[in-house]
Amino acid sequence: MAIQKVAVIGAGVMGAAIAAHVTNAGYDAVLLDIVPEGAGNRNMLAEGAVKQMLKTKPAPFMHKRNARRIATGNLEDNLDMVADCDWIVEAIIEHPGLKQDLYKRLDAVRKEGSIVTSNTSTIPLKTLMDGMPDSLQKDFAITHFFNPPRYMRLFELVKGEKTRDYAIEELREFADKALGKEVVDCYDTPGFIGNRIGIYWSFVAMKSAFDLGLTVEEADAVCGKPMGIPSTGIFGLGDLTGIDLGPKVNASMLNELPESDPFCQEYDENHPLVSTIMKMIDEGYTGRKGKGGFYRMNKEGGKKVKEARNLQTGEYAVAAKPRMKSVSAAKKGLRALVEADDKGAAYAWEILSRVISYSANLVGEIADDILAIDSAMKTGYAWKYGPFEQLNQLGNQYFIDRLKAEGKPVPAFLEKVGDRPLYKEEGAENLYMTLGGEYAEIPVAEGAWMLADIKRGKEPFMSNKGASLWDLGDGVACLEIHTKMNSIDQDVVTMLQEARKIDRKGFKALVIGNDADNFSVGANVGVVLFAANAAMWPVIENSISEGQNALMKLKYAPFPVVAAPAGMALGGGCEIVLAADAVQAHAESYMGLVEVGVGVLPGFGGCKEMVIRALANKKRPGGAMPALATVFENISTAKVATSAEEARDMFILRDGDSVTMNRKRVLADAKAKALSIAEGYEVPEQAEVSLPGPTAATAFDMAVSGFVQMGKATEYDGVVSGEVARVLSGGDSDMTETVTEKKLLQLEQEGFMNLIRNEKTLYRIEHMLTTGKPLRN
Amino acid sequence: MKSVVIAGYSRSPFTLANKGELIKVRPDELTGQVVRGLIEKTGVNVEDIEDVIIGSAFPEAEQGFNVARIVSFLAGIPKTAAATTVNRFCGSSMQAIHMAAGAIQMGAGEVFICGGIESMTRVPMGGFNPAPHPGLYKTYPEAYVSMGVTAENLAKQYDISRQEQEEMAVESHARAAAAREAGKFDEEIVPIVDGNNRIEKDGCIRPETTMETLAGLKPAFDANGSVTAATSSPLTDGASATLICSEEYADANGLTKMARIKSIAVAGCAPEIMGIGPVPATEKALARAGLKLADIDIIELNEAFAAQSIAVLKAAGMSYDNTNLDGGAIAMGHPMGATGARITGKVASLLQREGKSLGLATQCIGGGQGIATVLEAC
Repeated sequence: MAIQKVAVIGAGVMGAAIAAHVTNAGYDAVLLDIVPEGAGNRNMLAEGAVKQMLKTKPAPFMHKRNARRIATGNLEDNLDMVADCDWIVEAIIEHPGLKQDLYKRLDAVRKEGSIVTSNTSTIPLKTLMDGMPDSLQKDFAITHFFNPPRYMRLFELVKGEKTRDYAIEELREFADKALGKEVVDCYDTPGFIGNRIGIYWSFVAMKSAFDLGLTVEEADAVCGKPMGIPSTGIFGLGDLTGIDLGPKVNASMLNELPESDPFCQEYDENHPLVSTIMKMIDEGYTGRKGKGGFYRMNKEGGKKVKEARNLQTGEYAVAAKPRMKSVSAAKKGLRALVEADDKGAAYAWEILSRVISYSANLVGEIADDILAIDSAMKTGYAWKYGPFEQLNQLGNQYFIDRLKAEGKPVPAFLEKVGDRPLYKEEGAENLYMTLGGEYAEIPVAEGAWMLADIKRGKEPFMSNKGASLWDLGDGVACLEIHTKMNSIDQDVVTMLQEARKIDRKGFKALVIGNDADNFSVGANVGVVLFAANAAMWPVIENSISEGQNALMKLKYAPFPVVAAPAGMALGGGCEIVLAADAVQAHAESYMGLVEVGVGVLPGFGGCKEMVIRALANKKRPGGAMPALATVFENISTAKVATSAEEARDMFILRDGDSVTMNRKRVLADAKAKALSIAEGYEVPEQAEVSLPGPTAATAFDMAVSGFVQMGKATEYDGVVSGEVARVLSGGDSDMTETVTEKKLLQLEQEGFMNLIRNEKTLYRIEHMLTTGKPLRN
Repeated sequence: MKSVVIAGYSRSPFTLANKGELIKVRPDELTGQVVRGLIEKTGVNVEDIEDVIIGSAFPEAEQGFNVARIVSFLAGIPKTAAATTVNRFCGSSMQAIHMAAGAIQMGAGEVFICGGIESMTRVPMGGFNPAPHPGLYKTYPEAYVSMGVTAENLAKQYDISRQEQEEMAVESHARAAAAREAGKFDEEIVPIVDGNNRIEKDGCIRPETTMETLAGLKPAFDANGSVTAATSSPLTDGASATLICSEEYADANGLTKMARIKSIAVAGCAPEIMGIGPVPATEKALARAGLKLADIDIIELNEAFAAQSIAVLKAAGMSYDNTNLDGGAIAMGHPMGATGARITGKVASLLQREGKSLGLATQCIGGGQGIATVLEAC
């Protein structure tokens, strides 16, 4: 029985968002909660949660319409709604007694063979199943999501002694392929992996900052990016998750863990930071959801000013941007960070030494190996490196020596490792250190690989500084962009041109994709700015032609091209996606034509593709204008889809294009798609469209001048969107004529050149390059 | 010349476009139900109907295909009656009444159904395929000036403060809410049946409107302007219909005569201040009736915008006290093509209800026009 329908019990933040993510995967969900005392609407908790999620940012839903796939109800009247569910997730409050009462009720109505799991974050499975019937125990497991469930990839899976293997495999399969999660097997211990280490880390990072006399800003400056941790650092993270959560999870862990655990040993309820935090909670300083926390936004005087709290006095002052030697040194790596000569370095060492030692002592107790622990911290806490990857950067021997020099105990596992690295690559082999102190290969599951797994020990068959062509096997090539931020420059265009010739090398399909966080952020505007400042207009004009031609040639190549975007695919990056025959997108793809933000328009065929697609859309109302108006709005407001599903609404994805939930499966799925299309592939015919011409441009101009008057757009926005309008409406065309792709590309080029010659566009580009934000001039 | 009378007036509930209860109802179906309701209420013999004249500001899609003919079929009017759709933007259905009056007076028919239609949900303002003349837009952009901007222009020209506009909006809502509360609209509303739903109450009126709530709104059309969404009539779905016939016919067939059409007029003005159109149109209509404004007891002035209405009141010397007794379009809503027949029918019914003798219905029209009708109690 495959999982087809999921029930979630408990419509709190986690439960509701888990239900939402089930619908993101394309499945129906049931969401139940209790009937609050005196409630008029007995389903108010579940219904309210769904309604709230439509407003929550970041959005739990990948598309607003998914909300309709959640059936809501209450536990008194609607328990029978779980009867046809294959998987029932319990996400109620962390109270073993209440959970057990619920399990008994669920067990009475659930269908045979259905799976029941708990999303508990700290309570061991054996406690939850104590005294429960065997029939339930064999179908029971712990499935622990991280907040927010749509975005955090970790899925901790805990099997009980009596849990049947097949239930675990079904959960693993569904979590991996449908929900797109990184499934990490954990032993049944308190806090499993992520929270066991994460809560300890959080405690150490806060306490050490206080003890070593770092300010909130200093601590976050060190315990953030320099350590491969999200830039919220430690105190910013507290504000984000809610400061009141800390004492609760600490208490729960202290209660569950054996007294010998370092967390219980080191935790001191009389520490001044503990009383500071309790005072903050009492006063309503619970973080972003409250009046503020370690930071707050002061909106007095109409301006937003970020302020930080003084841990000693409790007063707020304008947040400083600390300059620390250790932070600058960290650019050279973790070792340089901890060896710098300031309190930041001491702080970093304090955290790393404690957390890595703690983790090293837990290998074998909370999980089989260092892979599970590193993976959990990366996908559950969004660390760039897990503790053992951090250790690999520091050097194990260095770490041991320094611990010894400081008189600190050295974990037995690390002693065993000695001066060997914990991870290493040997040719095509990717190795890690087992608990036994030997190397083993890191397994790569079929259909779940990254380009790095293909590349290891091999050379690309063609390459330059900006991009490379790799052999994915089975006659499929992969074009990898690898510039900074994967921006598109001349090198990338050259490789796009080369990619057109892969059939001569025996390839039958091309995938365009990479392992980076972002598929491509668009054209390298720095190069464009340089050329414009030197008035090298023919050079710019030529680079537009070359990009257009390269993409046109790929579009009409005798083999299929499949784009595999993940993360951002903006501007020129989006235009590459648009030129492909088909798309296999990661669900978390953020695509859009954002060129107007820097004062230009999509010049690599983006306008052209959008016009053709919008006009071909069978669902649109009659006439050209509704279709063109949608495209005009998307381009002239630089709209970016916040998921692959949303990109469908914007015509970036078409019928037949597919979405992969698990980031690790994107390239494998894209390759499979390329092979399926390659079978009997026919080159598409060039498109011709009928466009209204100047009357449409006039209609758009009228609309834009209204926005300018309303103060919603600047005069120059009007100029830029005027050029966009001219391209989309087909220039001087008339409704009785047809416009070719070539003509549309010419219009794009003309529009682009008109704008790049305007100094206001150059100001926009300059501003983007220096601040990373669009200028509204 | 034959005397022309209004012998019946009905309308659908007026509800907010894009969110009200009528969003799923096709405008032709909506109007068909209103016309059927009017026929039942008046008891007119449908065999005698000469023509069905329906006004629509954007006669396309579900309001296209000579929608008057479609409405006739839906309303069960015999095939022998003719049907025509007319367009004078917001003045369309008052124009429908004028056309019937003219035909009757020249002996070209005795009985006419004159109504209006607009689903601003289902046919967007501006239409689905706006195709302005590029050359004209370049040399004379005023031809396509947006309505909100014309209201801003009048606010400036007549020195009308934001507060004055908001006072009118609050008063308009208060009057409409009181009238709805007292059941004063029940007689004119034809409940609309949509599957299992029955829609019978107006949906645009906000009794909770106060000066405080309005003060917080941002300008809707000009960042530095004074006109807000609350001092503009809302986008609305609705339909209206009147029965227009010769007085002789009404007498001979025992129909209820509500009011006599005494005079009519249309007038043009500068498009960028189109809202002032009622002033020249009213002047002409009053002159043709041999009357002065002071003779008029009851006025219905379409509240396209508060700024526009106040400008008309000031320029024409009208008082809001005897204008829009049951609230105006700011509260009631303004389904463009349907408004003209609503306010003309409304004046006729108010003359009866209030026992007054002379009334005026007038409104402004996009592109720079006004239209006016003077009525006399029968």
